[in-house]
Amino acid sequence: MSDIVISTRVRLARNLKDYPFPCRLSRQGREKVIESVRDALINGNSAIAGDFKFIKMNGLDPQQSVSLVEKHLVSPEFISDSEGRALLLSKDESLSIMLNEEDHIRLQVIKKGLALEEAYDIADKLDTLLDERLEFAFDERLGYLTQCPTNLGTGMRASVMLHLPALEKSKVISRISGNLSKLGLIIRGAHGEGTEPKGAMYQLSNQITLGISEKAAIENLKNIANQLMIQEEQARERICSSIDVRDTIARSLGILRSALVITHDEALKLLSNVRLGISSGQIKDVTAAQVDELMTAVEPATLSVNLGKSLSPHDRDIERATLLRTKLA
Amino acid sequence: MRKCDKCGAQNATTHVKTIINGELTEYDLCSACAHKLGYTNVFSDMESDFSNLLGSFFGNVLPARTQSTRCEFCGTTYAEIANSGHVGCANCYTLFADRLNPSIVRIHGNAAHCGKHSKALEQEKAAEKEKPKQDTVKDLQEQLEKAVARQDFERAAELRDKIREMEGSK
Repeated sequence: MSDIVISTRVRLARNLKDYPFPCRLSRQGREKVIESVRDALINGNSAIAGDFKFIKMNGLDPQQSVSLVEKHLVSPEFISDSEGRALLLSKDESLSIMLNEEDHIRLQVIKKGLALEEAYDIADKLDTLLDERLEFAFDERLGYLTQCPTNLGTGMRASVMLHLPALEKSKVISRISGNLSKLGLIIRGAHGEGTEPKGAMYQLSNQITLGISEKAAIENLKNIANQLMIQEEQARERICSSIDVRDTIARSLGILRSALVITHDEALKLLSNVRLGISSGQIKDVTAAQVDELMTAVEPATLSVNLGKSLSPHDRDIERATLLRTKLA
Repeated sequence: MRKCDKCGAQNATTHVKTIINGELTEYDLCSACAHKLGYTNVFSDMESDFSNLLGSFFGNVLPARTQSTRCEFCGTTYAEIANSGHVGCANCYTLFADRLNPSIVRIHGNAAHCGKHSKALEQEKAAEKEKPKQDTVKDLQEQLEKAVARQDFERAAELRDKIREMEGSK
């Protein structure tokens, strides 16, 4: 059951009181915000600070920035314009702070599996540390003030990434998503706003941030994630006994182990099938953790960055197939 | 509840004020009659607009005459916020509070923040706590002036004693 949830993320949006929000901030202003936050973090608790890398976004080549998006460490919006933007990233990549994205500070904690409380706890501590050294824009009634009013209040977006192949195959996701909006939650493709779900990966997150405490929002999200997990589990039991589904799973692993050229979309689709086969017990010599790692490693930019060279799309498909054959051999 | 002035059957939901040739007329209408007479809610089309378009959260609440007010801190006008869906700075939330509020209510419901507090607020509150004594004396003096003005000397004497007492204890 635990292999249905891939990861948990908690993000907090914060702004400095003394500067206009990023949409109204001059280049010098942006630099000052970056400096203030970086100094606050480094001069803060040394136990946390020593762990952070400081990355200026305009110093990265496009592949490196796209790879950060593929690893869910920054948003696609963040790399669309690299001027006056910086990233503070912990060595294990579980903590990231985007500076001058939509808000001055977008602090994010990623954890493996379903770990909402733990992730919030870390985000909360990091936020308190910054709050001690910076002046945040805060209003008693509206909470943390954000550039976009959709984030007012807690400024918190908590999300869990779920692998839902069985629910997707039984076409119930769209029906579920209608009901979720009534609960202040939203489910969408794992690659964020406006993307088609790939590899049956979905992101479930809270939508409402004002008038609900962080704890209540997280509790709410956890309950629904648990219900989705139960439903997915039941749907898996139903479909995985079918010979056709078992055949698809077996063939998927066969292709991944023998293909010489493979596209990103195909790789994700097949890996998703293999993941399903692992949880149903059909595939025993590959683990879900291995598949999760591969799902990121086969992403176009991450593949190139890991190989240390820029590749044409066709060469990338060849390298991807090689990687998959080696790792799944 | 008041009944509709036109049909007399339904509960009135719309209050209409008209000034024609300087003469004020007021009446109450039910929603059906209001619609028939063309008095539809000026904000009624906002909800459908809101569902998808981020940029038009504020689109229909633009009062033409105050469009030019600029935030003194970041220079943003309300029109710019309405067009982009982005608020310019913390001060904009105070300056344009009246116009932003309906949109905030539409997004989050009529709610107040009930999560974590920034230390900034605690500091503000602590600062306010230090002031009340001066405020009270000032308040009492105002009350005293008013009492004298309405020739309520008994109350004025009370207030005078209170002020003396408070000033003495300083």
